[in-house]
Amino acid sequence: MIKFILKKLLMIIPMLLIISFVVYYGLQMTGIDPINFMVSPETLSANADNIDVLRESLGLNDPLIVQYFRWLGNCLQGDLGYSFDGSSISDIISVRLPYTFELAGYSLILSAVIGIGIGIISAIRQNGIVDYTGRVLAVLGQAVPQFLVGIVLIQIFSIKLGIFPSANRVSPDAKNAFVDGFMHMFLPVLTLTIGMVAVLMRYARNTMLDVLNSDYIKTARSKGIPEWKVYIKHGFRNAMKPVLVILMFRIPMLVGGSVVIESVFSYPGIGMTMTNAITSGDYPVVLITTLIIAATMLICSFMVDVINALLDPRVRLGE
Amino acid sequence: MKKLFTTLLSAALFLTMAVGCSTGNSSSGTQSSGSDSQTNSQSDSKNDNTSKTLNLAISTGDGSSTDDKVPTPWYNRTMATNLMFRSLFTSDSSLTEVSEDLASGYTVSEDGLVYTITLKENLKWSDGEALDLDDVVYSIQTAQKAARINSIYTAAFANISEMKAEGNVLTLTLSTPYSTMPQVLAQFAVLPEHKLSSVDPLKLDSDPFWVNPVTSGMYTVDTFNTGNYFTLRINENYEGEKPKIESVTTYFVTDFLTAAMAGNTDFLYGNASDLVEQLSSDSNFTAHEVDVLFYKYFIFNMKGVDGTENEAMQNVEVRKSIIEAIDRASLADLYPNAKVLNSGVPNDNEAYNGFDYKFDADKAKADIAASGYDLSRPLRICYYNNDQTSIDLINTVVYYLEQAGLKVEATLSNDGTTDLFTTRNYDIGFKGKSSFSINEWYTEYMSTDALFANIFGGDTAFDSLIADLSASTDKADTNRILGELQGIEQENAYKVPVFTVGTYVFTNNKLSIPESVEFCNPLYNCDVDYEKWEIK
Amino acid sequence: MSNSTTNLKAQNKSAASSLFKKNVRKFMNNKLAVIGLVIIVVMTLACIIGAISGVDYTTPDLKNIKAAPGNGNLFGTDTIGRDLFARVLYGGCYSIFIGVFCAVMSSLIGAVLGSIAGYMGKKADMILVRISELFQAFPQLVLVMMMVAIVNKRGLSNLIIIFIITGWMTTFRMVRNEFMSLKGETYVKVCEAFGMSRTKIMFRQILPNVMSPIIVSTTTNVAFFILQEAALSFIGLGVSDSTPTWGNILNAAKSISVVTNQWWIWVFPGLAISLFVLAINFFGDGLRDVLDPKQQ
Repeated sequence: MIKFILKKLLMIIPMLLIISFVVYYGLQMTGIDPINFMVSPETLSANADNIDVLRESLGLNDPLIVQYFRWLGNCLQGDLGYSFDGSSISDIISVRLPYTFELAGYSLILSAVIGIGIGIISAIRQNGIVDYTGRVLAVLGQAVPQFLVGIVLIQIFSIKLGIFPSANRVSPDAKNAFVDGFMHMFLPVLTLTIGMVAVLMRYARNTMLDVLNSDYIKTARSKGIPEWKVYIKHGFRNAMKPVLVILMFRIPMLVGGSVVIESVFSYPGIGMTMTNAITSGDYPVVLITTLIIAATMLICSFMVDVINALLDPRVRLGE
Repeated sequence: MKKLFTTLLSAALFLTMAVGCSTGNSSSGTQSSGSDSQTNSQSDSKNDNTSKTLNLAISTGDGSSTDDKVPTPWYNRTMATNLMFRSLFTSDSSLTEVSEDLASGYTVSEDGLVYTITLKENLKWSDGEALDLDDVVYSIQTAQKAARINSIYTAAFANISEMKAEGNVLTLTLSTPYSTMPQVLAQFAVLPEHKLSSVDPLKLDSDPFWVNPVTSGMYTVDTFNTGNYFTLRINENYEGEKPKIESVTTYFVTDFLTAAMAGNTDFLYGNASDLVEQLSSDSNFTAHEVDVLFYKYFIFNMKGVDGTENEAMQNVEVRKSIIEAIDRASLADLYPNAKVLNSGVPNDNEAYNGFDYKFDADKAKADIAASGYDLSRPLRICYYNNDQTSIDLINTVVYYLEQAGLKVEATLSNDGTTDLFTTRNYDIGFKGKSSFSINEWYTEYMSTDALFANIFGGDTAFDSLIADLSASTDKADTNRILGELQGIEQENAYKVPVFTVGTYVFTNNKLSIPESVEFCNPLYNCDVDYEKWEIK
Repeated sequence: MSNSTTNLKAQNKSAASSLFKKNVRKFMNNKLAVIGLVIIVVMTLACIIGAISGVDYTTPDLKNIKAAPGNGNLFGTDTIGRDLFARVLYGGCYSIFIGVFCAVMSSLIGAVLGSIAGYMGKKADMILVRISELFQAFPQLVLVMMMVAIVNKRGLSNLIIIFIITGWMTTFRMVRNEFMSLKGETYVKVCEAFGMSRTKIMFRQILPNVMSPIIVSTTTNVAFFILQEAALSFIGLGVSDSTPTWGNILNAAKSISVVTNQWWIWVFPGLAISLFVLAINFFGDGLRDVLDPKQQ
């Protein structure tokens, strides 16, 4: 088992290398010249010779592959480089990454609790009122574009009712950091959750139904074990395994969703940094944020593999 | 069972619709007393918490500033930096009359070449260090090397041949007269040498200095929270009258309008129709109309200094007929306050020469066909702004051009003017420019202009007139030169203005601002008697 | 021998047709799925008919901007006075096309690669799984941005290519897993014993048995891509503004002023997207009920 985990973990490294190279190469292909960002156009045409010296000193005249490995070497030594406007990328990341993890984490927990909860209740009380309302809301949440949900929530809760702030993560006059965080994160987390809950609920409901109709539950029932115990001990446990896998698979979607939602809510996370970097053409930042997102996805998929292997020994043998 | 599900679903759908509609209806009727009292009570309750704080916002959505530092005052001035950084002089709302600020006054020699500026005594930075002429000299010298700086400074300072500081007196000797030098100096923020002298001018605006800058103005930074806000407290070392408002919070937001409506900013500006429409009807805000030279214009991609030509646009008839095809008067309706103009000089200015690019769809069609332009070739336009009004504007332009029989491709570009000459993929750029003065519009035609020389091919036709214009101090003389410049401009049609867009400044009614205050172009600095502002 | 085979074939055929009839009946009993199908068909037809009949979605009317529904404009007019009804119809063609085309193409790629990986196993499987993980890890946004920057144009084709190359992995995984369990089945062993070629076994024998989940996942992907297009438009990386996709029309909702004052500008395109996605989801659920052998 340890060997399996190690092997899987080691596979992440070459994958990240490939992705970083592809993105690095792709960004070079776009033909945007970092010099244009560092030097004002006036200086640019006034002293072309100096610019060539600068270019040489920055190593921009080296072959692509040399530049790539230099960049990689720096990254491995912990120097993530600088954005085109001169800020240290490590600084940018260290502030914003926690914000995004917070946002994604709470959404994941909330949607898991709500989604799985409603899913199980609707499976147990099939066609009951919870089942129907839950399904209606879930289906709607999945059908309306997420950013539209966000904007409408801002319109209602920030502007009309004035309950929650429409932007940022921290406010200056906060008396209690926790309450402040709650207020700022409530709407974005809600938006992301609305989008996520549907899938989880449907999945939880279906697997729970499968499990409840299976033979061993019938056996358990026939043994006279109390109904709630059947649900919790046998039903829930067995149904959760596949749901857990789905949950893991949703994390990348959450990261993708937060890119859009962070812009809607002016939430200073990694997603907004990335969107801004993309629109302004700040490629060093794009490169690093891409790698962070890719790494998150790879780690999630690694965890899926591990969970699968733990649950089903055949997978391990198959590899 | 399924029936119940369907009913619930349709009910929910209907509800969402209803919510959507009701939010629309009730707030669009802000005149109705019901919603009025509601919004009022809401902002009242907000006032209680933040009674002595002015809220400002910096928009990061358009890419002009980032949310991890105070924006440099050398690029655009904003309310927040106006409160922190002072210049040698200060302007009135027309940006033409200057009065004392850091300097107590200036004299200029007869030939307009020597400025003698006297700095006030005993000035201090917010950290207690003395603010002296070293800081001024450092700032002017550094500005000429800085990477991110408004071109009005570089254009003006390029004429300075010598700077001499003796005690409190600074002597600027110019190589050629530059009539708007005092006005430019009234915008130019002086920065502290003792904090910045070791910083590379190319990286000045991203230096950690900007997280906790040493300031010369009424306020200084209290706390800075990356990505969220920074707060200002009163600068104890400010020698003038202290402001009545004790603290200022500046939020980083992606959208001004949302911030204003959610109570995050008490002062904002804009020219887009949606923003003006919304806030003009909002009883919490007062609108101040500001006449600014915000040009929206087409720029034809001609050729580079190296001679690479954009063949399709070389024929002046093609350029003129393209403009003929566009109904600029109708386009102006997209903005709340846009005025069509036909040169760098507004139509109501006495220097306007009366020429008019007339809209005539049929004639344009015939002219384009006659000019020999290959109609199967797509005409490529690039535009820069991503807000809805800009997109609407460009879509309408594309429509007009298509009516004239052209094939058009419009592309959003993120790289400003440089995209035009780095790739030469575009025939026309559609730009916006918030100009400091009419002169600034014309200096773009200089054959030595670093950017535009690459677009107009370094055409020298304008040079001598522009030099005369910069030097001219006499009104009649200026008008004569402008008249000639307009002639050449309209003959060449390199740049064709569509209209100027009037900007609105909005202030929250919780602020009590003296009646006499007039606002200027919000991207520049002028005296708004801020020390008299109060929060009700 | 030949006689019995034809008999068998005929039997198979009649069995298949009765199974088909049974499925149709089962599907028709699922009211929601039928409603979904009806909505899909009606909306698609409306859009196509609208587009063919040449509704005018381009002419701005600057004297009549942001007009409320009524007065000759069924859905009102947008921020430059274009008829919103025409735009929603025309935009539907683009959005539905993007959704359907990308879903079908990505399912095709996913199915083929999944079959190969699942059936061949070993090296081929390992490599393909790695590749799929690689693509899964790639943020779609960055790919779109790179395409836009390289091609220097925000075209429809960019978006379609990106959607296809980033969308095939779910189908791939599913097909691969199905193949892994099916390749041990007796009929596969029999085919192998008869010396049937691998391609034939993969695509003629096994793949038809995996068709139902592929069809179901394709339908849900249609919905996913339509929503994705809207999201990309929102952050300014979608199709160029002059193409009226649903996402681009909905973009007007960026302005809180439009959201507050002109509900029709965002409610109608928003409703079009939501209704279509909803219908697709219902239809997909219905199909799953019918096609999923576990539930029969």
